[in-house]
Amino acid sequence: MRDDVPNNTPPKYLLAAETAEGAVITLGSADSWEELLDLLAGQPENDGVPPMAYRLIRTAETEAAVKKKPRREYFANFRGAGGAGREDDGTESAPWWGLDHAAANLAARRFDDLPPLAVREWIRIRHKEPFTPGALERRKRIKEAVAEYVFLAMTAALVIPIVAILAYLVVKAWPALSFSFIFQNSEDSQAGGIWAPLVGTFFLVWISLIISAPIGVLAGVYLNEYARDNWFTRLINLAVVNLAGVPSIVHALFGVGAFVLAAGMGQSLLAASCTVAIMTLPVIIASTREALAAVPMAFREACWNLGATRWQTIRTLVLPNSISGILTGVILQVSRAAGETAPILFTGAALFTSFPYHLDQPFMALSMHLYAICTQLQGVSDSVQYGTAVVLIGLVLAVNGLSIGLRVYLRSRKKW
Amino acid sequence: MVNPIPPPELDLQTPRDGGPGGSVSSHVAFRNLTVRYGTKTALDGVNLEIPRQSIFAVIGPANSGKTTLLKCINRTIDFISSARVSGEILVDGGDVYRQWNVYELRRRVGMVFPLPVGLPMSVYNNVAYAPRRAGLHNRRELDALVESCLRRAMLWDEVQDRLDLLGTRLSGGQQQRLTLARALSLRPDILCLDEFSIAIDPVTTMRIEDILRELKSRMTIVLVTNLVQQARRLADYTAFFSAGRLVEVGPTEKLFTRPEQQLTERYINGDYG
Amino acid sequence: MTDGWRLFKRAAEWLIEAVVRLCGWSAILFIFAIFFFIFHKTWPLFAEGFDLREFLTSARWQPTSTVHPCYGILALLVGTLAVTGLAMALAVPLGLGAAVYLSEFAGGKTKEILKIVIELLATVPSVVWGFIGYMVLGPIIIAVTGAPVGVNLLNGGIILALMSVPVIVSVGEDALKAVPDSYREAALALGASRWEIVYRVLFPAAKSGLLAAVLLGVGRAIGETMAVLMATGHAAQIPHSLLDPICTLTATIAAELGEAPRDGTHYRVLFLIGVVLFVITFIVNLTADLVVKGIRTEKE
Repeated sequence: MRDDVPNNTPPKYLLAAETAEGAVITLGSADSWEELLDLLAGQPENDGVPPMAYRLIRTAETEAAVKKKPRREYFANFRGAGGAGREDDGTESAPWWGLDHAAANLAARRFDDLPPLAVREWIRIRHKEPFTPGALERRKRIKEAVAEYVFLAMTAALVIPIVAILAYLVVKAWPALSFSFIFQNSEDSQAGGIWAPLVGTFFLVWISLIISAPIGVLAGVYLNEYARDNWFTRLINLAVVNLAGVPSIVHALFGVGAFVLAAGMGQSLLAASCTVAIMTLPVIIASTREALAAVPMAFREACWNLGATRWQTIRTLVLPNSISGILTGVILQVSRAAGETAPILFTGAALFTSFPYHLDQPFMALSMHLYAICTQLQGVSDSVQYGTAVVLIGLVLAVNGLSIGLRVYLRSRKKW
Repeated sequence: MVNPIPPPELDLQTPRDGGPGGSVSSHVAFRNLTVRYGTKTALDGVNLEIPRQSIFAVIGPANSGKTTLLKCINRTIDFISSARVSGEILVDGGDVYRQWNVYELRRRVGMVFPLPVGLPMSVYNNVAYAPRRAGLHNRRELDALVESCLRRAMLWDEVQDRLDLLGTRLSGGQQQRLTLARALSLRPDILCLDEFSIAIDPVTTMRIEDILRELKSRMTIVLVTNLVQQARRLADYTAFFSAGRLVEVGPTEKLFTRPEQQLTERYINGDYG
Repeated sequence: MTDGWRLFKRAAEWLIEAVVRLCGWSAILFIFAIFFFIFHKTWPLFAEGFDLREFLTSARWQPTSTVHPCYGILALLVGTLAVTGLAMALAVPLGLGAAVYLSEFAGGKTKEILKIVIELLATVPSVVWGFIGYMVLGPIIIAVTGAPVGVNLLNGGIILALMSVPVIVSVGEDALKAVPDSYREAALALGASRWEIVYRVLFPAAKSGLLAAVLLGVGRAIGETMAVLMATGHAAQIPHSLLDPICTLTATIAAELGEAPRDGTHYRVLFLIGVVLFVITFIVNLTADLVVKGIRTEKE
């Protein structure tokens, strides 16, 4: 940038304008700071293209040269539309509305009781459109964008590898996946054929469901509809929370102690189902409560008002309107029960057993089968292992997808 | 509209004897009733008799305990866990807490609250809900009952072609009238209405008021209202409550023309407080 | 309706309500039953003078030794803590970051899809995670680090991290969602950017909910059995590096209960480990529950 200050009769103060092309044009001169500000205030506003910036310059008596950088920089709207002034610490202050306002503001400034401009110093007042971001806002916006991308990257770092792994499993399993792999048994458990464990898992899920669904749903009904807010209810809630948190292997120990030994069931389908049932109970209780709590209290009160008893209200109003939510929870339980291994490890699942199953005999389950062919048995081909894993995942995800689909469908036809 | 026969002047504050089961002229009686919500007193030592087959209006500014009084009649107050009730509430001479079966009581006392609640079932089932719970399952009787209740609530004309519509899908005013129809469905002896006209247009309100006058011959109607003129139009007797206390009670004409208490006069003239 | 019928209905209703009550109380019953049956099995140990101090402080776990069997679970405890700690170090920042992204930045379809994906991930069975650790991650670790075995602390940590993430994300997102929108709007009205809202408004307001999310993740990681059994290499030693195979409390029970002679000392000690696990997870869950309760009372 070039300073076009004429140096024949050097004045003390100069007012110059910067044009869009980068040229600096002297607009006038003054003998004092106050006079210079009057000159600034007297500049015409808003005809044609306004200058990019005004310069308030103090030169030496002998030469017009000034320092390269301005002493301070301010922002104002030259059209008088209300821009933003700027404090020295960089924060945006009350807007400077036009050149009058800018001049008045500068005049009010004491500049730490020093002369407003030392020799060869200058001030720039830049034009700023109202409501355009200043430096602070730009910084904030960049930070925001960075934060968003960082969080996105974190999410991607979780989701992508997992999805990639699952895809990899499917690719590796592809050679083994066939109709006969799923629906047939092989005599020597080496070559694949997972029909027996699949059926075992099916039985395990259904029997545990028959045990846990009634207890869990009724427990949810009790907690949401009957229980008062007292220490006993809090104790039950605590028990439910902790039941959900008990490690699966501890459930297995309980199953061994209670069902296999104390109840004399031995290692059997029934003992394993009971163990899994108790393990999945808290899932059903929690989702039932959630579904029941979604029915507004006003409906219940309206029914009670009509002389309906508590149970009548529950049977005729609360349950019909929450059955879908309860069902979602029950399906969730199914998917969880289908995948569990630890609790059936010592309560009834066997590496290999005869088909068909009996309630009081050990059985095969898909999850147990996967564990066995992966770590216990030698020489099982990779694709069979991957195939078993993929079928297990597919089973669980399909059941879960069903529950999600049900939820979405029922949300779309809400009755209130 | 002025009642053709002025109601007899009764002393509605001093308890009359009749005893449980005996023939009493008052249908509902409150004896020294005090209700507290936690530490806040909502009703304070109320003695009041509500005569049979009359329209009894309860007026008073906000927070004066009108709704609480109403909730005591059919023990709806039990739903509020912080409420503590002391004193006696007698319906047909029987104490609602000691002598009445609460479900039977609620069937005999119809209740309409200001917030309309359509149950999430069809309009038909909304009205048929309570009779079914009470054991009425005959389809023809139910049909007749539903129609008569909906007619009385001035809703029949609007919903007769779509009785299978969800009760929650009706407009606010329609839901309010549905609530009224539901309250009538058990042919109650006592009908309690809390601000029933709040969501209903003036024309329908007038028509429902006519129905209420007609129903008076069959049941006792307790009406809580903020509309002083509605009380004056409808009620045989009016009680004025302020800050949980019964200030004055008497035949409506007398209360409105010759109030004994200054507070009452100021309230009905609209320069209360 | 006859009086007899009415009486019958009343009796039926009373019966149903009694059953409902009984089911409601069953959770307490089951918790006590679990504790009783496990503890019951360990009782004879104390009668024959089992050294509880050695059990908790010794790192020597040689239950099958014929000469001098040792039952010190310190190495197992350290293994559990190490693998849980590593998993949390990986899962907490990523999980909370994803929770923030889901709750504050993602919108519309992206959010729906991501939520469903994360929900589905939560249901992948633990034995499948173990399989992935054993078959997929193990060879990758060998290839990258040159470790002699692929099933080790690092492998278990990564697998456990992936397993705990859905819990942390969904509970964390719930905690962020529970912050009233009026807070966000107030901050926006003061000119805050979304990052400033997250950093200065949401984190302070939701901190106990986020803590609960982390605790629930910890609870799940400590109790996880099949995945760590298959992915950590099962060697009862105190690990010195990330690539050492380790053994956890849960995996020990799962691996050894089947072979331990019934009602022998080894068998009973495994049940005693179950008691230890029960107590640890009880404490973690209780803390998480109290933290959540704390939020609720604060809100009120």
